[in-house]
Amino acid sequence: MDYLHLAWKNLWRNRRRTIITLTAIAFSIMLVQALHNLSAGVYAGMVDSGVRAGSGHIAIYQQHYLESRDEALYFKGHNLVTEIETIDGVKQVLPRLYIPALAQSSRESRGVVLIGVDPQRERQINPFLKTLSEESMIRSADSRDAVIGSRLLDELQIKQGQKFVITAQYHDGTLHSELLYVRGVVSSGMKNIDGSLIMVGHERAALLIGSSGSVHELAVMLSDPGREESIHRRITTLLGTHPDIEAVSWERAMPNLANAIKLDYASQKFIFLIILLIVTIGVINTLLMSVMERMREFGVILALGSKPMTLRGMIMLEALTLGLLAATVGSLLGSLATWYLVSVGIDLAALVPETLEFGGVVFDPVMRASWNPGWMLQIALYVVGLTLLAALYPAIKAGRITPVEGMRHH
Amino acid sequence: MSLIKLKNVSKIYRLGSQKIPALTDLSLVFDVGEFVVLAGPSGSGKTTALNLIGCLDRPTAGQVIIGDLDLQSASSRQLADFRLQHIGFIFQSYNLIPVLTAAENAEFTLMLQKVPKQIRRQRVSKLFAELGIDGLEGRRPADLSGGQQQRVAIARAMAAEPHVILADEPTANLDSHTAEELLELMRRLNREKGTTFIFSSHDDRVISQARRVIRLEDGHLAADITITA
Amino acid sequence: MLLTLAFRNLWRNRRRTLLTLSAMVVSAALLILALGVFSGMFKDMLASATEQYYGHLVIARPEYHLRRDLFAHLPADIADQLPLENEAEITGKSPRLRSFGLLSRPETSQPVELLGIIPRMEQQVTSLQHQLTAGHYPTEEEHNGALIGQGLARKMKVKPGDEMVFVTQAADGSIGNDLLIVSGIFATGDSRHDNNLVLAPLPWLQQVLVLPGRIHEVAMVVADPMTAAQIADRLTAALPENIEVLDWGDLLPEMREVIAAYDVSRMIVVTILYLATGLGILNTFFMSVMERTREFGILMAQGMRPWTIRGLVLLETLLLGGLALVIGLLCGAILTLYMQQIGIDLSGYITSVTYAGGTILPRLHAVFEAGNFLVPAGMLLLVSLFAGFLPANRAARLDPVVAVRDI
Repeated sequence: MDYLHLAWKNLWRNRRRTIITLTAIAFSIMLVQALHNLSAGVYAGMVDSGVRAGSGHIAIYQQHYLESRDEALYFKGHNLVTEIETIDGVKQVLPRLYIPALAQSSRESRGVVLIGVDPQRERQINPFLKTLSEESMIRSADSRDAVIGSRLLDELQIKQGQKFVITAQYHDGTLHSELLYVRGVVSSGMKNIDGSLIMVGHERAALLIGSSGSVHELAVMLSDPGREESIHRRITTLLGTHPDIEAVSWERAMPNLANAIKLDYASQKFIFLIILLIVTIGVINTLLMSVMERMREFGVILALGSKPMTLRGMIMLEALTLGLLAATVGSLLGSLATWYLVSVGIDLAALVPETLEFGGVVFDPVMRASWNPGWMLQIALYVVGLTLLAALYPAIKAGRITPVEGMRHH
Repeated sequence: MSLIKLKNVSKIYRLGSQKIPALTDLSLVFDVGEFVVLAGPSGSGKTTALNLIGCLDRPTAGQVIIGDLDLQSASSRQLADFRLQHIGFIFQSYNLIPVLTAAENAEFTLMLQKVPKQIRRQRVSKLFAELGIDGLEGRRPADLSGGQQQRVAIARAMAAEPHVILADEPTANLDSHTAEELLELMRRLNREKGTTFIFSSHDDRVISQARRVIRLEDGHLAADITITA
Repeated sequence: MLLTLAFRNLWRNRRRTLLTLSAMVVSAALLILALGVFSGMFKDMLASATEQYYGHLVIARPEYHLRRDLFAHLPADIADQLPLENEAEITGKSPRLRSFGLLSRPETSQPVELLGIIPRMEQQVTSLQHQLTAGHYPTEEEHNGALIGQGLARKMKVKPGDEMVFVTQAADGSIGNDLLIVSGIFATGDSRHDNNLVLAPLPWLQQVLVLPGRIHEVAMVVADPMTAAQIADRLTAALPENIEVLDWGDLLPEMREVIAAYDVSRMIVVTILYLATGLGILNTFFMSVMERTREFGILMAQGMRPWTIRGLVLLETLLLGGLALVIGLLCGAILTLYMQQIGIDLSGYITSVTYAGGTILPRLHAVFEAGNFLVPAGMLLLVSLFAGFLPANRAARLDPVVAVRDI
């Protein structure tokens, strides 16, 4: 017999109470782990589709472009594309031009931001272009082919194959117009995108502003988002020779998406906090009850010559055993739930609109979790810590009685 | 050789604003190997005196010296250590730990002393044999009779081989036959091992077994009689 | 009598009851706070779409909201011709003409959406006049004064008094362009409005688009946005076929659905939280019943019926639940009130977030909504009852003989 053995036996003194408490702790751990993994999975999906359509995992801009979106801040970036693509872990670099322009049909006009892209590269990454057939794609960088959002097409009252005029400001300040043809139509489901998207080859876009070969943005896609930091450093080193060009993370380039995730995660953390708070109160209650009804026994143990600290240690050990047991059971259940959420997921199609937009990306109605063992362990240990914290008061209280007082209890 | 000395000891309990004197100006000396009974009706101060001798409580006035330890100047840590090393306790209601088996209960003080498991086992099984409860090692207190429980309690008190064993009304909850047996057992231990036994009791059968009877009345020493065989 | 007994029983183990009570109060109060903040976000979201742009109801040609057809126009006095007077809930209406085009300066051009408005009437519908950061709201006298968003002003590098040219295609097919002078700059926190929206006088835009005396829509506000759909239905019946009335739910179907989905997720969160709380209550009442076994035995031996015992225990849990409810609702209301009056500014950490066609502002700000109190309250009572049921059954099933023997 040793102290651990004693703690284990004491834990099962009131079997029902321990099981209920254990269930409450394990249930909360499972819930927090599963919910966190689910959100992490959903966020990862949002980030993935966000960076594909947006800035890439890392975006490269002329300084101040990001804050001002001043179309005069372009740079000659095409040689950088191949240079950065040689970096290990970089999947693709997408050069882009963003030009504020007026799109006109014979009946209607709309203010738009024309995006000049490298058609072949863009198609491999951008989710809006992925669904387009080969015939609907922009044929070359300098062609007059345009890919356009379905709602914008509708608003301009033109059809696939028809022409429209785009007017933009040339670098000398005068307005220049170009004739374009609708080659492909994008129907993403997001009102914003479908109502504003116009893509053309980057050379055609560059001609509009009279600056051939220039870009506003290089969107760097990584094959493993986990390596973002190290690759970011390598790109920054590589850009050392261009002091006016900077590489920024997607969080900075797409604050809308980053903030949407932050906000959602913050509200979730608040719920986690409430859950853990309630469970901690429950554990305090259980441990306090268990200590109060054993005061007589503690008196005897102290009389037999145990030091108060030893007695406190015994109670803390009991709480530790409870915490570890609950953490193990809870993490097992959490893993089981995560496994289900990873392989099956939750289909919210019946609850949310088919094309719900959140933080600028389409929200996938089938939510799938991702594994975060480190975080799961962390939350489990955190709960063990809370259990110990909950035991502190009962333990201190038990250690404070004198043997004579203790033995007077019934 | 004097083992325990009480010099002009008084103990006053406070109950709200009331002061209840439990012991008044009590002076006693106990020698090694004695078999003493503190006798008297309930409320006469027997338990208070045992608590003082057992280092569980401090006197309000006077001096309690046990071996070379002065109760007044010792810290509660020192007292706990002293109890663990030198004093064994036997209680009226046995006070075994219900979740532990008989053997584990007996081992408890040895565990507190950090005695290795193997030695604990050996010592306890020897004690169980001596006390006639061998074979009951694996039982829980709830599955034992009162007499058996009190034997386990004696084993627990003896296991650490203390100099003094204090027993507060050890036979009060037992039938007369069992009480007789237990008393005989304790006398044997006293004879064979030289352990000092100090009882409290108001049971005449117990008192008749003692070689020294200290009679308390309302916290005062009424008589201190040594019976020479 | 039974009630007094139940109440006294609750206070037998004061510490345990208080701890259980505190768990219930904490869960209810914090939940109410969280729900209030979520509702606040939704309200901001809805307001960003309606009070800054759409209004709650819009009268326009059929499908105008889908295609923004330049030629789907209405007579400017349409609002006076329609039977709107009997709708007392309508608190404001604003006739608007809409155009899309480029706002141009020598160094830059930006795509914009331009609304031709009558300032006096537009101010009844949208609240941009309260969100000015520079200059003033255009007056009727300024024939080409424009109100533009802060983001747009920054990109255009303009301040009040500066000139800009608006370029668009007019109804006659010509390229219309005319001078605007910045009167004021607004900031809503919604990047799409701040970067894209321009308000200019209606007569000026009618002239640029060559659409004299015409408008595209009448935007209206009602006292309670949630009644907009019903009012829209009533109005539709009274309107001619080539004119339709849409409520914000029709204009922003995704927002309507998100708000409906919120009701479901609110139930889920509340259920999850109360499961954890319920286990705590269950534990407390099991302990309380177990340690009173002997007492229940005596009560039964004296002739108390099992159902009365069951009722007693259930009454105790309900009493505790009721007490927690009162304190929890009170604390929740205080926290919500605090967050409503003061709130937390998050603009240092995050910027606004677009969601379901609206914008969530970077602030935590709560609003009072009955459901946010009723749902947690109802669930708390339900959970107390459920958690009391098992211990109550256990107490009622005791055998008096065995129970009395039990110490």
